[in-house]
Amino acid sequence: MYRILDKKELAMKEVWYKIHAPHVAKKVQPGQFVIVRAFPNGERIPLTPIRWDREEGWIELVTFVRGKTTMRMANELKPGDALLNVAGPLGNPAEMKKFGKILAIGLITGIVEVFPIAKAWQEIGNDVTTLHVSPNPMVVLREDLENSVSRHIVEGFDLQPGWGMNEIAQELVKRAVAKVKELLESEHWDLVFIVGPAGGQKAVFEVVKEYGIPMEADLHPIMVDGTGMCGSCRVTVGGEVKFACIDGPGFDAYKVDWDELIHRVGFYTDMEKKAMEEYMKLFKQTPQGGEQ
Amino acid sequence: MAVKRKIIKERVPTPERPVEERIKSFVEVNLGYTFELAVKEAERCLQCPYNYAPCIKGCPVHINIPGFIGKLVEYRNDPDKAVKEALNVIWACNSLPATTGRVCPQEDQCEMNCVMGKVGDKINIGKLERFVADYAREHGIDEELLFEMVPRIEKKGQKVAIIGAGPAGLTAAGELAKLGYDVTIYEALHEAGGVLMYGIPEFRLPKSIVESEIDKLKKLGVKILTDHIVGKTVTMEELLKEYDAVFIGSGAGTPRLINAPGINLNGIYTANEFLTRVNLMKAYLFPEYDTPVKVGKRVIVIGAGNTGMDAARSARRFGAEVTIAYRRGEEDVSARVEEVEHAKEEGIKFVYFVNPVEFIGDEKGNVKAVKFEKMKALDERDSRGKRKIVGTGEYVTIEADTVIIAIGKHPNRLIINTPGLEVDRRGKIVVNENLMTSIPGVFAGGDAIRGEATVILAMGDGRKAAKAIHEYLTEKRESQNA
Ligand SMILES: Cc1cc2nc3c(=O)[nH]c(=O)nc-3n(C[C@H](O)[C@H](O)[C@H](O)COP(=O)(O)OP(=O)(O)OC[C@H]3O[C@@H](n4cnc5c(N)ncnc54)[C@H](O)[C@@H]3O)c2cc1C
Ligand SMILES: Cc1cc2nc3c(=O)[nH]c(=O)nc-3n(C[C@H](O)[C@H](O)[C@H](O)COP(=O)(O)OP(=O)(O)OC[C@H]3O[C@@H](n4cnc5c(N)ncnc54)[C@H](O)[C@@H]3O)c2cc1C
Ligand code: SF4
Ligand code: FES
Repeated sequence: MYRILDKKELAMKEVWYKIHAPHVAKKVQPGQFVIVRAFPNGERIPLTPIRWDREEGWIELVTFVRGKTTMRMANELKPGDALLNVAGPLGNPAEMKKFGKILAIGLITGIVEVFPIAKAWQEIGNDVTTLHVSPNPMVVLREDLENSVSRHIVEGFDLQPGWGMNEIAQELVKRAVAKVKELLESEHWDLVFIVGPAGGQKAVFEVVKEYGIPMEADLHPIMVDGTGMCGSCRVTVGGEVKFACIDGPGFDAYKVDWDELIHRVGFYTDMEKKAMEEYMKLFKQTPQGGEQ
Repeated sequence: MAVKRKIIKERVPTPERPVEERIKSFVEVNLGYTFELAVKEAERCLQCPYNYAPCIKGCPVHINIPGFIGKLVEYRNDPDKAVKEALNVIWACNSLPATTGRVCPQEDQCEMNCVMGKVGDKINIGKLERFVADYAREHGIDEELLFEMVPRIEKKGQKVAIIGAGPAGLTAAGELAKLGYDVTIYEALHEAGGVLMYGIPEFRLPKSIVESEIDKLKKLGVKILTDHIVGKTVTMEELLKEYDAVFIGSGAGTPRLINAPGINLNGIYTANEFLTRVNLMKAYLFPEYDTPVKVGKRVIVIGAGNTGMDAARSARRFGAEVTIAYRRGEEDVSARVEEVEHAKEEGIKFVYFVNPVEFIGDEKGNVKAVKFEKMKALDERDSRGKRKIVGTGEYVTIEADTVIIAIGKHPNRLIINTPGLEVDRRGKIVVNENLMTSIPGVFAGGDAIRGEATVILAMGDGRKAAKAIHEYLTEKRESQNA
């Protein structure tokens, strides 16, 4: 059991948790993740520590409330409660070396995963620009990034009434592609790095490819154990099957089979929707469970 | 017992749940013996002398089989006493009888050799073992026996770390705790049990049994740290600083994939993923449980070992039409006989001599069929005594919306990358006759050294390693005191 020391809503749909998890805090490096299980009947989901204190033994996580588990966590957990499991740190740390001038892009909540890596890159002498493409009400970590890297750019957009997930995704891709083009056109870059939904990652990659700039991407296939035991997270990279949880999560964007990844992350969409609907029903019946 | 016995040829059957009922649920299929039935079956045993009894020789850990069976008959008027005495005999060699009684391939081990086979049915040793363990657990006799041992535990003041809470690690932990060592298990997953928990389904091995084994360990003072991945959360080097010895029981967790186009299509699961979702995460209770699993109308399971049977029978319980495709013939099916029989009763089809060469997908990236090459067997045999097989150049395509790959597993990669740890070409950890690895003070056993083996061998390794660790640490203690 890992105590929730603090929790707050950072922005629309984005919740921040400070968790007592000394075993992770002691070891975690930028680029690594943990697997969290929050409820006895819950799933195991991967999340990324964005800050930690090795002595005090805590880590910070940020979730984007997008489905049942992240929603339940937002609704049902409060400071003083505990997460049942926090396993990790998992995956390989991001490569820490001097690349030169780096453009690190976070699409929506992807920025929280970019944060620890970008900060560490800057600290070892890289010139890091972070770009956050996101709906305006979901802009997070702005000051933290401004204080940590050479330049932080927010490409925000307002949500229009009646927009669903599809419209948001379309707008996100449009904005990301246009902004990245502009930046690549006007400046020299040694490395582009991106975290975000696979569709957006791919669209940005298509742009970067035209400029031939090296590009790394943290991939987010669906995971179960996170220790290399199940193969749920398999991706094709350079024509070979890789397990993102132990071979990644960072990969050379030029080698990733993006279309396959996009298919794979969408495999359970209908069931995820069902889980969410059932949960919302339950929620309506017991409104007292609603507000914390 | 030199009395001449009457020969009873037929086995006393164990009741099973009817097929119609069991393909709709995950409750255990075989219901096991009652005390009366167990005594009846026990009476059939000829009580071969210890030095001769062929069943004992067939048992990988040499349980005194006539010894425990005899107790059931001897104390037939006092069930509790009978079971306690029998359990005491079993525990001298096997720490996990409720599990092994259910999952050992008895037909290839103890029962294979039983002399009763010459005149009738062999003794149902597996079900008797299971009965003793179940009755003991249900009546608290196992704990009673355990705690008669506890006051005798003399603390040694030395610490041992165990990596992995599968049968190998759990057994080593239990034995070491009984010897007075301070034992901590590091387990990557959120629950202890290893394959017993995430692989073997509820209908074959109820999880409450595994949990009860783990509870007993905790009562012996064993600490279990779940969510701790050795190689990530903590390194071997760090363990060696904190502990006096280490045992690796990390199993063979990496699934083998088929090197054929389309392997990453949606709907293609490794058996590990499928079974983990179903067993550990209880996806059969979705949406009450949050983890999803997708089982289509037509499921193909590739591979015919225990894992293949478990995957197939689990998929059947989601209402699917299930086919097991195997590249060899029926004679080479490696699963336990009981599982193959149950699979057939449950309506699972078997297709032999087919080897997958391509997975065919639809425009959405979902699998829709598997293309197989037809194989044929030669007279020549390979090193394991199986007939060699070759492709015929003829192909057959079978439609499926879910495919489960159950062709085997490799040792866990995070462990075998430990600096200084010698592994063989296949990733199996190399050990000496005392199960010590190339790193002094680090021992290993179970699937981590054998590749895919069995629960009883893992359990046996755990005991053997515990003994070796005890000797190693005794020497260390004595040299420090000297
Ligand atoms: C290495 C890694 C790091 C991540 N870090 C973060 C983070 O810091 N903050 C954050 O909000 N999210 C992060 N994610 C994504 C996060 O795991 C999903 O948001 C979460 O699983 C959604 O669960 P849900 O039940 O709320 O939504 P669901 O409705 O179940 O799923 C919504 C979508 O989330 C993805 N998803 C669902 N289950 C999983 C799973 N088990 N593994 C991976 N993706 C899944 C799928 O694309 C799915 O379509 C990370 C993912 C990976 C692989
Ligand atoms: C589906 C299936 C059905 C089977 N059916 C049978 C059967 O009927 N009869 C039979 O005898 N055998 C059967 N087997 C085989 C049997 O289960 C194994 O031989 C046995 O479990 C091996 O035990 P073990 O302790 O070596 O490893 P495992 O049971 O694999 O346990 C290893 C444990 O170590 C943990 N671990 C791995 N790496 C790390 C790490 N780096 N840090 C911390 N922890 C780690 C794992 O999470 C796991 O819990 C079956 C196997 C499967 C998969
Ligand atoms: S071989 Fe058969 S008859 Fe003889 S002791 Fe063993 S179980 Fe009994
Ligand atoms: S999540 Fe299971 S192997 Fe990567």
